[in-house]
Amino acid sequence: MYQTFLSFRYLRARPISWIGVAGIFVAVAALILILSIMSGFLAETRSHLRGSLSDLLIQPHLDRNLMHEGRSILPKRDVPGILEVILADPLVEGASAHYTWYGMLAAAGRERMQSDVTFGDLALVKLVGIDPTEEGTVSSLREDLVRDSLISDEQVADPDDPFGPIPGYEPDGRPLDKVLIGEQLARFWGLRRGRTLELVTAVLDPETGSPREAVSRSFVVAGTFRSKNNEFDLSTLYLPRSVMADWFGSGRGFTDVAVRLKDYEGTKTEAQKSLANKLHEAGYLHDPEITGGSEIRTWEDFQRSMLAAIENEKGLLGIMLSLVLLVAAFSVFAILSMLVQEKRRDIGVLCALGATQWGVMGTFLMIGLWEALLGTLLGLAAGIWSSLNINAIEQALSNTFGFQIFNREAYAFDHIPTVIEGSGVAAIVIGAFAASLIAAALPAWRAARLNPVEGLRHE
Amino acid sequence: MSETNSPILSVRNVRRAFKAGERNLEVLHGVNLDVAPRERLCLMGSSGAGKTTLLNIIGLLDRPDEGQVILKGQDAWALPNSGRAGLRNHTLGFVFQFYHLLPELNALENTTLPARLAGARGARLREFREKAEKSLIAFGLGERLTHRPGKLSGGEQQRVAIARALLMDPPLLIADEPTGNLDRTTGDRVLNLLFEEQQKRDFALLLVTHDQRLAQRCERVVHMEDGLIQADSVTPIPH
Repeated sequence: MYQTFLSFRYLRARPISWIGVAGIFVAVAALILILSIMSGFLAETRSHLRGSLSDLLIQPHLDRNLMHEGRSILPKRDVPGILEVILADPLVEGASAHYTWYGMLAAAGRERMQSDVTFGDLALVKLVGIDPTEEGTVSSLREDLVRDSLISDEQVADPDDPFGPIPGYEPDGRPLDKVLIGEQLARFWGLRRGRTLELVTAVLDPETGSPREAVSRSFVVAGTFRSKNNEFDLSTLYLPRSVMADWFGSGRGFTDVAVRLKDYEGTKTEAQKSLANKLHEAGYLHDPEITGGSEIRTWEDFQRSMLAAIENEKGLLGIMLSLVLLVAAFSVFAILSMLVQEKRRDIGVLCALGATQWGVMGTFLMIGLWEALLGTLLGLAAGIWSSLNINAIEQALSNTFGFQIFNREAYAFDHIPTVIEGSGVAAIVIGAFAASLIAAALPAWRAARLNPVEGLRHE
Repeated sequence: MSETNSPILSVRNVRRAFKAGERNLEVLHGVNLDVAPRERLCLMGSSGAGKTTLLNIIGLLDRPDEGQVILKGQDAWALPNSGRAGLRNHTLGFVFQFYHLLPELNALENTTLPARLAGARGARLREFREKAEKSLIAFGLGERLTHRPGKLSGGEQQRVAIARALLMDPPLLIADEPTGNLDRTTGDRVLNLLFEEQQKRDFALLLVTHDQRLAQRCERVVHMEDGLIQADSVTPIPH
């Protein structure tokens, strides 16, 4: 095909044509790299946001009556019963009943004054009563308890029995109940294993369910945990569920149940519906037709706004960076238009020698095709290579310029995360290719429309 | 008229006008012309007489407002674009005053360009390449096959252009002032080459020129004036 032959000759003989290739190359490589980094950030952030959250969280409206077997009753509150119903569901891997309430954390003794002033705004904490054995089936708590720690005596003595005896803890009188505290919270408050802390909270009225009176109680730190979610670590304390149930009473064995599914992504909606119906029939939840299933939520429901914000950011960045692609396509258009103008005489000669209009158009379109093909392929290779080696590149650039380009202290991770998404890369490649071809089509069409007589007159 | 004597080109009542501001300026007022096979015809006339316009219409590069151009028995302007492109490729050969070689291609590639435009590939293209190589060697360009036009003199470029025009063995070769851009000696050499090739290959030659000396070497001289053919004289020349 003479179009291929001529277009390749024009491309080879005109160094300016390579500007178009370079433009597409840079745009494709930059888009793939940015998309990979944003996808990496999203994946990493999802993982951090999830932290030690289970797949589903069942939060019955315990103080609102429901209809069960024709009678209006308060929802059932026994732990063995609800766990039996949940665990009987074939989609469920594990379940753990929690007794959750809120309180204020106060360090004991002379440290209290300083910590109250310095970290006063961090004092509100969530108190989660758990059974460690049950909890191990739904969350990463056990792994979070054995994470390497710079201060060794912050960790629990026995991860399999985190509320077990504390080495070196010798109480003055009756041993205090134990609490597990987030590693970062412990550092802020200067707490470590064996130290005591005070929790201030309000006890509920068993009749109305409203806070009745403020109470405080001392606990001893059994150890620290560190999930991937900093916010969670700074605001959560684990206590034995039995302690919480005794403390707050109200006839409740639990306030919520964490559930792990065998296949979260594949069955989350199905499992939500199935559990809602089964627990309603058993008298633990309200009619899902009335509540809209709001008593069972996924972990994503709790983090939806943050996840949506990052997704949105990724989309916006993609759109903004697509402008680079438009600039590259425009450079193809400009260069090819220049070439057509410059080659008017050649177009006349080609027509005189027997080229058709389509043949002339094909020749110039083919130049755009070469530029698109070369630029896209080189950009694809460079984009993937730089995505895979971004940390080495960042390190080399940081060493060269003498400052850290990626500020590790600003993020919860110590590397630039990247995830190469096949569909995203394919969209970029197809988009770049299509944009370049469309940009080449207009000058190519103009070339085909040129009057050969005027071309032959052109010097 | 027998097949061999029927004209290779017949121009019938061709009219062509151009817009000049508000006015319609008619350049050709109904031109009639026949060119017989193997004929050597010289088209002469002053500037603005309409020679180039007629040549462009005959060369199927510019559409007449009226009239017909019959090439090898086909009404060329009634054909679709692709049909006319085929006629330009196989039936017509062009030699231009300014050579019009493609600067990105070397002499051999320029010469084989009509074959590529005809879609020749593989063995067929290799045949044309050998043919082009032989022509260029015969034209004294054996050492210049891979040289680009920028490295060739005017005379050499015109010889490449002649080799290119003759590659597809067209029955009619149109030469527009083929020596107009060359010095006299070089021009004479190029003309000699053109006439020798005509004798060898038996194609009809339509020459457009102002050069009276050149006209004397043609057996038929047609004079154009004001868009019409005013004189048509035949002087047999021994080949």
